[in-house]
Amino acid sequence: MSQSQTNTASTSPDFVLTRVFDAPRELVWRAFTEPERMKEWWGPKEFSVVKSQMDLRPGGTYHYGMKAKSGAVMWGKMVFREIVPQQRIVFINSFSDEAGGTTRHPGHEKWPLEMFSIFTFEDAPGGKTKVTIRWQAHNASAEEQNMFDTSHDSMNQGWGGSLERLVAYLAKAQK
Amino acid sequence: MAADHLSPKFAALADPTRRAILARLALGESSVTELAEPFDMSMPAISKHLKVLEHAGLIARGREAQWRPCRIEPQALKDVNEWLEEYRRLWEQRLDRLEDYLRKLQSKAPKEKKRGRKK
Repeated sequence: MSQSQTNTASTSPDFVLTRVFDAPRELVWRAFTEPERMKEWWGPKEFSVVKSQMDLRPGGTYHYGMKAKSGAVMWGKMVFREIVPQQRIVFINSFSDEAGGTTRHPGHEKWPLEMFSIFTFEDAPGGKTKVTIRWQAHNASAEEQNMFDTSHDSMNQGWGGSLERLVAYLAKAQK
Repeated sequence: MAADHLSPKFAALADPTRRAILARLALGESSVTELAEPFDMSMPAISKHLKVLEHAGLIARGREAQWRPCRIEPQALKDVNEWLEEYRRLWEQRLDRLEDYLRKLQSKAPKEKKRGRKK
């Protein structure tokens, strides 16, 4: 509970994942920002990337297609908000279609439409690189602000620990 | 069927007061007055938060008693948790693949010999 994450943006992340890679930062950065390299790993297990098109600049998009073993293709896109070379990428992630529109998760209607995400890249001892992925449901907060007008400071307060931990705890506490 | 029943839940969970209310309710059902106690907030403000939580399906209000006790809806939280888990799995898989890819790249960095490998 006492573990706190530093919030670089003015939003409290729901979701934080870190991984240290045994590779220099420059190489890790390229793996995230060169579409030909993204192809090599972006698809989850058993998926192959069939399209990987990137326009790396604020307002630009990364449009990708991931093909499952069954042959079905899942489309997704990122719209970049901020790019700080070798340090940070801020973007909105969503499911997509072949044409690059914004869609819901196919077969998972209840997934939020958009996800606000931040990747950060830092040096770690021994020439390694630490990547942190922060993420939260994006339109959820916008929706709330319209609906309930409680925008005051709810999104500006950082808080220790991520939402998933709280939710897991609460779900368990009630069993 | 609601198209997106998770978004209102995330919206409700985005507020620290509401998270605190949920944490309190995890200990057992409670009246609005009891819930309001630790907060420096008016009753109408607390009621508004409760309405958001109720609307999102995260809590239920009893009808049986005059004081309408609030209780947590565990299934709703499980839904949120499941979704977060699924998303985490997706990322873990991606990062595993990235790790393999980076390893591969670095191990063949000095690629002098090109073995004529056949398909």
